[in-house]
Amino acid sequence: MTVVASSQQTQEAGSAALAEGAGPARPIKVVAILCNWCSYAGADGAGTARLVQPYGFRVVRVPCTGRVDPLLVLKAFEKGADGVLISGCHPGDCHYSEGNYYARRKFELLRRMVPHLGIEPERFRYTWVSASEAARWQEVVTTFLAGVAALGPREGRAL
Amino acid sequence: MSDRQEIIRELAREALAEGRVDYFLGWGQGYDASQNIPVFVREVTDVDRLQWNPLCHHNLTVFLKRKMPDPPDARIGVCVKGCDSRTLVALLQEGLVDRDRLYIVGVPCDGVVDRRKIDREFTGEVIGIEFTGDKVLARTAQGDSKEFDRTSLLLDQCGGCHYPNPRVADDIAGDTVPEPEGEPQWPSLAEFEALSPGDKAATLAAAFSTCIRCFACIHVCPVCYCWDQCVNRSRTPALVSQRVEKGENLMFQLVHMFHVAGRCPSCGACDRACPVEIPLYLLHEKMNKELYDMLRFEAGVDLEGKPVLQAFSLDDPFGEG
Repeated sequence: MTVVASSQQTQEAGSAALAEGAGPARPIKVVAILCNWCSYAGADGAGTARLVQPYGFRVVRVPCTGRVDPLLVLKAFEKGADGVLISGCHPGDCHYSEGNYYARRKFELLRRMVPHLGIEPERFRYTWVSASEAARWQEVVTTFLAGVAALGPREGRAL
Repeated sequence: MSDRQEIIRELAREALAEGRVDYFLGWGQGYDASQNIPVFVREVTDVDRLQWNPLCHHNLTVFLKRKMPDPPDARIGVCVKGCDSRTLVALLQEGLVDRDRLYIVGVPCDGVVDRRKIDREFTGEVIGIEFTGDKVLARTAQGDSKEFDRTSLLLDQCGGCHYPNPRVADDIAGDTVPEPEGEPQWPSLAEFEALSPGDKAATLAAAFSTCIRCFACIHVCPVCYCWDQCVNRSRTPALVSQRVEKGENLMFQLVHMFHVAGRCPSCGACDRACPVEIPLYLLHEKMNKELYDMLRFEAGVDLEGKPVLQAFSLDDPFGEG
């Protein structure tokens, strides 16, 4: 998978930030949870097409966004993630017909709960990227990581 | 108030005498006149143990999730207030209790008194609480006594209650009480919601660092029922470890919150059960507020309804394009 940053790249990002003296000591950590059928393929397509993407995010491939328990996202935050991005098939295009319809209610509730836990709303996003939308994936991941990077690593967190 | 008590006793007496129920679940006096505990009445001669007063805070439907399977054919009488009836509706919606084996006595509720608010008014040990009209007289073992207005002692969530009357019942104990009109409000959240993200995190960290993981909040919750498969006790998957630490403590509570999302009517049983007084309402009331905002959904209001996260609509108005 071409979009997964290598540890070397991550280290480079960290040392680059250190060298500039402005950024934080450690690079941001972002977890991207992608559904197998659409967004993972879309992200893969972005890599194949050599679209420039930021690094510093880890991809977790899941069979369907319907499988994503909101607690997995919260656990990622608890484990120290600075941002979590979920992406799946567009509603109506789910490989399993209705998985993302269930998911969308859960994610919307989660999106509203995240700021309540003292986590900036920019650190969580859920969206839909189809297998053919490599360019859209590039835009989604670039803007999301830029938003998280602007906030920097999480500090003084409750979760 | 005592009228309702008489009616509850009379209904329980009839049900037991006619053999319609094997036992009857109600409220009764605890170890002294300031305490109220759940009471299981099995004999007609025992019905006078049943009480009704503003200390009857226990949500008795919690026993149904345990008692319904065992003994397998027991017929159970149970008293429910407005909020309790909503958890019962949530259990019925999911087919977790058998309606045919239940005899439900609905008790219209004028608000439940927060025992902890009374305790905070005294330095000594409160051993007696009497209710006369809208006045509450509390006295301590040390001979101290004070009189309060009942409304000033009500549980915080009673202030925002929209459903004081039971949503499901076979018999109603006395006249129903007027239900407030208008949109539901969550006044208790306003202060916390106004905080900055950093202050919210600091507040939650301080509040949840005291959790001792006693599981009281989970055991007392009527709609949290994965008894032997609770992920909070699980090592695989390890959502929560044995490590006692603020992040994991909050995670522990979030497991509870998300697992009852769409079925929790904020009866507040977890808040009252917490021995270290963690403000759990910050989580479950917020969740209910957002579900209402998202889908105009209120848990346990409609027997025909479905828990909101177990359903979907093609037209759900959210989700980024």
